[in-house]
Amino acid sequence: MSRYLLRQLSLLLVTLWLLTLLAFSLGHWFSGDFITNTSGIFPEDIRFAETAEARAAEAGIVNQYTAYLGHLFRGDWGLSLLDGEPVFEQIALRFGATLEIALIAFVIAIVLGIPLGVLAALYFRKAVDHTILTISLSGYSIPVFWFAQIAILIIAIQWGLVPIAGQINPLYEITPRSGSIILDILLEQPEHMTEALHSAFLHMILPVCILAIMPMMLIIRLMRNSMLDVLSQNYITSGYAKGLSIARVLWNHALPNAMQHVMRQIGALISLLITNTMIIEVIFSWPGLGSWLVRSIYERDYPVIQGGLLVISAVILLITIALNIFHAWRYPQVRKDLYGAN
Amino acid sequence: MLLDIRNLTIAKDTPTGRVNVLERVNLQINEGEIHTLVGESGSGKSLIARAIMGFLSDSWHIQADRLWFEEHDLLNLTAKQRRAIIGVDIAMIFQDAKSYLDPNLTISEQLQEAVLDQDLTGGFLARRKQRKERVVQLLHRVGIKEHSNMLESYPHELSEGAAQKIMIASAIAHRPKLLIADEPTSTMEPATRQQIYRLLAQFHARYGMSILLISQDLGAIMKETERLTMIYSGQVMESGNTRELLDQPHHPYTEALLNTSLYRQAQRPPRSRLPTLAGTEPSMQHLPIGCRLGPRCAYARPKCVQTPGFSKKRDRGFACHYPLNLEDDA
Repeated sequence: MSRYLLRQLSLLLVTLWLLTLLAFSLGHWFSGDFITNTSGIFPEDIRFAETAEARAAEAGIVNQYTAYLGHLFRGDWGLSLLDGEPVFEQIALRFGATLEIALIAFVIAIVLGIPLGVLAALYFRKAVDHTILTISLSGYSIPVFWFAQIAILIIAIQWGLVPIAGQINPLYEITPRSGSIILDILLEQPEHMTEALHSAFLHMILPVCILAIMPMMLIIRLMRNSMLDVLSQNYITSGYAKGLSIARVLWNHALPNAMQHVMRQIGALISLLITNTMIIEVIFSWPGLGSWLVRSIYERDYPVIQGGLLVISAVILLITIALNIFHAWRYPQVRKDLYGAN
Repeated sequence: MLLDIRNLTIAKDTPTGRVNVLERVNLQINEGEIHTLVGESGSGKSLIARAIMGFLSDSWHIQADRLWFEEHDLLNLTAKQRRAIIGVDIAMIFQDAKSYLDPNLTISEQLQEAVLDQDLTGGFLARRKQRKERVVQLLHRVGIKEHSNMLESYPHELSEGAAQKIMIASAIAHRPKLLIADEPTSTMEPATRQQIYRLLAQFHARYGMSILLISQDLGAIMKETERLTMIYSGQVMESGNTRELLDQPHHPYTEALLNTSLYRQAQRPPRSRLPTLAGTEPSMQHLPIGCRLGPRCAYARPKCVQTPGFSKKRDRGFACHYPLNLEDDA
């Protein structure tokens, strides 16, 4: 296990290093001045000479890269070309907002998707199975952006049940600290906390639900197929031969083994979720990383693009590696396949 | 009588209509008896075992005059009643034992499942401790002495023989009255097979446990077998006391099987042709009417298109219009 751990960690480090290399190269590849691209300070600025010195503008590309790494580790990721805000602080603030809806959506997808998938498998080729499959197929086929807009049109505008966009009613004046609106309200302790939480909750329903649909439909299908596969395995039969009840066979043998296949796919599912989060953030004006990054791409805000890419890729990478390690730790035969021992 | 099966018919719906995969099968097992069911693959041996265990899904249609275990009618049991019998009084071990062990649980965890709560006393912790002790006892009983190593192993680390011993340990946890062994040794080399058979014979002698052994091969049955039932393509051909049946087979099928055995071959002149049955086993789509052996039988006559009844003579039973070796009885 420790050998596998080391291998995964070294993979993580190498990939992260390649990512910094790519982000650094972007500074050169983008049109315009390298120093402006990475630091966000224009040549007209009085701080430009000082910045050029600090980022080793004249000292060759190797020194530039070392200087870039130094800035990266110190949290000096440059300023936004648009509004002069420091990129690192913006990322720290917006990351919470993104994480909030992505995480809640993911939890909903798991909590609903897995039981529905199991149900479909247990009622294989019966009405329940067909219904769940039909819903999941159509849910998976509908594009998120279209669905989001239809939902806004009907639920938010026509019926007026929930607000159209944003994180909370601006009247509550919550100062962003972590980016996550619920955490911020709890930290702020405003006068009308229950009402503020209620407002935040109403704002959140629509984006979170729409975000949860796609991964949920995928999890249903994955879980159903994997459960069908596991239920036909011999060790399920031997569970019944021991005289175990259906519930115990399902809980002790079928579910853990079926989850193994699903776990393997969850990494891919998370990158899909993050992509969808960006789209949802733009549509619902959610102040997260995604909407900010999309804006930066439209506006050629190079320091923001570099920083945002780095963070999002690093997050996906970290999750994938964490899942790999979990997978090897939890499932013994995977460990055996990986390096032929325990 | 421990197990009493009379006229068991199991049918399956196919695109060309309903097919009787198993037709009017009779099988009786007495207390403390080792009974071997011999038949080629696809002859429906495992189907009988699965019907007894209640493993057949709704797509199979089961009919029987009698499918009784002691005084329980196995065809009409609620799930709860069935659980009181299956795994307690009737246990089963399988071919390819490794695939019957959950790959993600240790041997200890899987064996603990086989220990039922009703056998334990005390609070949660006390029960847990007893359960672990019982598991170690079980391992010792099947001849695994280094239990500490085995307990923490996962199925993929075991050999086929060791996996089968674990299955046996799990099956005998409640001293079942009947153990169904579905080709338990077909993937093993002869030495391991003898080990497994010795183990089964031991439990048979010690607990008086009946064994229904299912085997493909007359040459690979337990030497302790008291009774044999020959099954061909879903019909019982012949059954009876092992010694008598092998010495004087009444049914042409038994005769044909014996002719291919090593023992009889040694008595024939060298280089002579192996007297096998002509043709191949019928497929489920094209079952012969009447006696299913008919088209391949050297003794078949026109009457064989009527299904022969199961005639009983003393301890023997056979389904043939023209039985062999009956002259001496007359």
